[in-house]
Amino acid sequence: MENSASAALEPLLSFLTFSLSTLESGFYKLPGSAVVARYVKSSHQNDPGRTILELILIIFAIRTLLQSRTRADRSGKHFIKFSEKEIDELVDEWTPEPLVQPLTEWEQKDLSSVPVIAGPNGPKPKLFSTGKTVTNLASFNFAGLAGNEQVKDRAVDTLRKYGLGSCGPPGFYGTIDVHIDFERDIAEFLGTEAAILYSQGFSTISSVIPAFCKRGDIIVADRSVNFAIQKGIQISRSTVRWYDHNDLKSLEDTLISVEKERKKRKGPLTRRFIITEGIFERDGEMVDLPKLIELKLKYKYRIILDESISFGTMGRTGRGLTELYNVPASQIDMLVGSVANGLCSAGGFCAGSAIVVDHQRINGTSFVFSASMPALLATSGSEAITYLRNNPSVLLTLQDNIRAVRAVLEKTEGITLLGHRASPIIHFCLRTQQQSLSVTPATYDYEAEERILQDIVDDAIANGVLITRAKHLRGQEMIESRPTIRIAVTAALTKKEVEKAAGVVKTSVTRILSKRR
Amino acid sequence: MALNPPSPSQSIFKKKKSLSQLPSMTTAASYLSAVHEADTRARSHDISSVASTPALSLSSSVTASSEDTVLNEDDENNCLAYPRTPPTSEQIFTTVHTEFGHCANEAYRCVSKHDYTKPVQEHDIEEPPYYILLTTYISYLILLCFGHMRDFFGKRFTKSYFTHLMPHHGYAPLNSDFDSFYTRRLKRRMDDCFSQPVTGVAGRTIVILDRYSTDNNTTQIYTGSKSRALNISSYNYLGFAQARGGCADAVEESIRRYSISTCGTRLEGGSSELHVTAEALVARFVGMEDALISSMGFATNSTFIPALAGKGSLVISDEFNHASIRVGVRQSGAQVRMFKHNDMASFESLLREVISQGQPKTHRPWKKILVIVEGLYSMEGTLVNLPKIVELKQKYKFHLFVDEAHSIGALGPRGRGVTDYFNIPPRSIDVLMGTFTKSFGAAGGYISGSKAIIDVLRLRGHSGPYAEAMTPPVLTQIVASMASIMGVVPAPQQTKSALSLSPASSVVTLKDNSEELPGMAPASMLPTWMNLHPNLADGSEARMRIRRLAFNSRYLHAGLKKLGFITYGHPFSPIVPLLIFNPGKMSMFSRMMRARSTPIVVVVVAYPATPLVTSRVRFCVSAAHTKEDIDMVLRACDEVGGILDLKHGLGERWGVDEVCKRAVELVNSV
Repeated sequence: MENSASAALEPLLSFLTFSLSTLESGFYKLPGSAVVARYVKSSHQNDPGRTILELILIIFAIRTLLQSRTRADRSGKHFIKFSEKEIDELVDEWTPEPLVQPLTEWEQKDLSSVPVIAGPNGPKPKLFSTGKTVTNLASFNFAGLAGNEQVKDRAVDTLRKYGLGSCGPPGFYGTIDVHIDFERDIAEFLGTEAAILYSQGFSTISSVIPAFCKRGDIIVADRSVNFAIQKGIQISRSTVRWYDHNDLKSLEDTLISVEKERKKRKGPLTRRFIITEGIFERDGEMVDLPKLIELKLKYKYRIILDESISFGTMGRTGRGLTELYNVPASQIDMLVGSVANGLCSAGGFCAGSAIVVDHQRINGTSFVFSASMPALLATSGSEAITYLRNNPSVLLTLQDNIRAVRAVLEKTEGITLLGHRASPIIHFCLRTQQQSLSVTPATYDYEAEERILQDIVDDAIANGVLITRAKHLRGQEMIESRPTIRIAVTAALTKKEVEKAAGVVKTSVTRILSKRR
Repeated sequence: MALNPPSPSQSIFKKKKSLSQLPSMTTAASYLSAVHEADTRARSHDISSVASTPALSLSSSVTASSEDTVLNEDDENNCLAYPRTPPTSEQIFTTVHTEFGHCANEAYRCVSKHDYTKPVQEHDIEEPPYYILLTTYISYLILLCFGHMRDFFGKRFTKSYFTHLMPHHGYAPLNSDFDSFYTRRLKRRMDDCFSQPVTGVAGRTIVILDRYSTDNNTTQIYTGSKSRALNISSYNYLGFAQARGGCADAVEESIRRYSISTCGTRLEGGSSELHVTAEALVARFVGMEDALISSMGFATNSTFIPALAGKGSLVISDEFNHASIRVGVRQSGAQVRMFKHNDMASFESLLREVISQGQPKTHRPWKKILVIVEGLYSMEGTLVNLPKIVELKQKYKFHLFVDEAHSIGALGPRGRGVTDYFNIPPRSIDVLMGTFTKSFGAAGGYISGSKAIIDVLRLRGHSGPYAEAMTPPVLTQIVASMASIMGVVPAPQQTKSALSLSPASSVVTLKDNSEELPGMAPASMLPTWMNLHPNLADGSEARMRIRRLAFNSRYLHAGLKKLGFITYGHPFSPIVPLLIFNPGKMSMFSRMMRARSTPIVVVVVAYPATPLVTSRVRFCVSAAHTKEDIDMVLRACDEVGGILDLKHGLGERWGVDEVCKRAVELVNSV
């Protein structure tokens, strides 16, 4: 029996020894194999345990490489094994929530009170609901570019040469010469090396931030930045430190503490950014740019400045805060602005050094993955810049109008005016003991206040002045701010008209507030 | 050779210079065709003066305008500017040939519709021979080695090139050299194939600004000359990228009426009646109750998905979903799981796993599961297996979000996207999203669903309060192109009921629940000032566009297969990826196509947009292409593909002449 078994095994054994020897000779034929063999031998001689350890390590490495990363760990301790039947039962039992929670009664009222404009928007649009003409203190038409005939002519010319859509992302034949021209116009206007054009204002900064700020980088940001910035910061996954709203003292303290922490940890040098707004969308405050730049240079940070409101409105010709404070725009590493707000077209831009701009052409998500802006919107923007350059008086009118509106509203009982006195957007909230905008008690009734403000808005519209509450996504913003009414001043109205309109708002405020007492 | 960008000394530039020096000189052929153009024009004038039916007078006026466009630009490439076969006296074309090609042959049409006798095509991938894979990996290895070597020596000897990658003056580098390695060392080598500036309409042809580089693509130098190329790269599926014609006329009118901007966000005084009109029309077009328009296609996903899913919900996403979906999901705070591209078995097993396991660690049931798929995948050309997903939706009760960015307009017998193609009622899907950039020649996107969902998105989506509203010219292009696809019901009956705008709101209530798949648009849904040309209004032109697109797509797919190339995607998909594999061949392919006597511009894509080995060229077919254009592409591919050794497909092979000759047979046999 035994003999026959060993006889049967013989060819197998001889095959094994043969293949082993061929393997061995093959191994030694490989260049450098002798070194490996010597290393393994000597290490095994010195420390047999180490060989086993290394072997385990290799196996572990192979296992990790083979495992898919997106798949959840099926063998993990939280994984419960079910039979097919049990899964079927679980599937049957599961009742998902509806896709959305229906609107509340107040939200529905809010939605139905959104004004719709019939015909062109401008200083005196017609409302779709009533057909009445109103004075517009709600829309962003700061320099009065809405309905500008020059811009229209240029747009029609462009349409007849380029059609409407660009039909492709910038990387794939979507870069039209008018985009390049417009980018150059912006860069020249601001005095930066280069600029890059995004096709939506809102998506600009939320794409610029993650293009530069990566995991492990440090962002120091104003607590009250707009929603687009918040989203950008969220996507960037950087370490964020917040400083008090528009308080540069608090900013400096934060910068010092970040530096201290770094020294303590002896961490490597990481990218550091200060992110803030020129004029805050939320309340119209204005940042002290020279001081900000001083801090940035002192602590070696880069600035991402959102000039969505201040570009096209501030300074002698609308170049924004850099012109107002007479600071070279090149001091600001990434200057983000809105073509939609400031130039009455659509889209946004980021201006900066050539390196900053080129980096975004590959890493700016919403630049790379989105179709480029329609050609006629780009030329409209170019034309608007020409208009601003040639008509500096427009922004003087704007400032006159801002002063006029503030003068009237300051005298109004029951409301508090917010923001910088030169800001083209003027927010006001109801006057209560709680004066500051952002710090609010937990028991605070937003909805009640929103309702009062909406009544004021409705009353003003009924009396021929279009204003709007500043809309926010409650519960999604990082900090809840008090509900406000936002007035957007325009240069397209005369000072008399603006004063009259502000007077109507004042009467509405008084009427609604007196009704409630 | 493969890595040297073309220098100005090469012959193509010389030839162009010599041509541009003599703008007035014309070849005999171009002279003849110009004479022919003039003749046709005269004839059409004649006809219009005799019988002034609106259709004919319209065509004559457009032909008259086409004369300006064609003759004013001193076109060098006459085979692109004039049709190869001159039109007969019966044929009147209302488009400019360079924007939308003239093709009167009714045989070159096809209907895009799913054949339910056959199973839904799974995503089958044809593998290349092993030596191709091996050389591809080796090429990348060489590129990486050289890149690192250049970095190593560059950092020591030419520091000035690396300042932005090194810490300086106490600032960390703006981007780490590791992150930018791929861009600097791999992409830079073929930068001349990307971001090519163009001018004019991105229609059937496109005018590129000639450029060259003397420093390995660090800077591009523009020669100032332009050349017209056949455009098989733009997302212009239905050919609505036009500077002339009914849609452009409507847009001009709207610029005069509405100006450029509505100055604000939708909720804060930027809503216009045009938004209301367009949204109602979109809802009817896609067959949903309500729709919402956003001013940017990317932002449609990135700003509305967070309002649909949040903490405690799960998003199941196809692995090849677009970046905008990923950004949206990341912002939403929902958990994400991915399944293998279009693999229904993997999808179902994932569903069973996640529903039975519940949320991680706590095992609480998910609040809801949102499945996000695309109708047509932009890099693969594959179609979602919608019948199967809808079937699974019944069983597993998930919510379904279909991104129709590429498929809307381009698929289905009536151009209503994947639902139309598979003949599935659109309302069996919860949310249909799409863009206007592609088939409609506009910009921006929409999201549609039940009124309850859309109302919530209006208020709770990020776009409503924060993002600028869509501009009037873009809205008009959408309304005009969409209405022409739908066709307009001429009789003004039941006007008020169709568009019962609740006056004080931006919300439209559309009362046609009985009609699951919407038909034509009532005239009352369009702005009163918009007078579409009769051939647009009756939908005949758009029907022709849809059928031409289907023919062209199928023809290019089938033709490339018969020539022996490896292609991906669905035969009806207007996106046709042709596999190249080797990174070096990719740039060569693009350059060789551009350097042809009739230049063709193509899109080449590689890692990271695709998996590392499967670099490809992606053709985007348009209804604007004529059969001759597709022939031209096939001939060019045949030639270039032969030189670059790209023909590794299996199956029967035909010669290029035979493919062109038997095109109709090919299309009908697939």
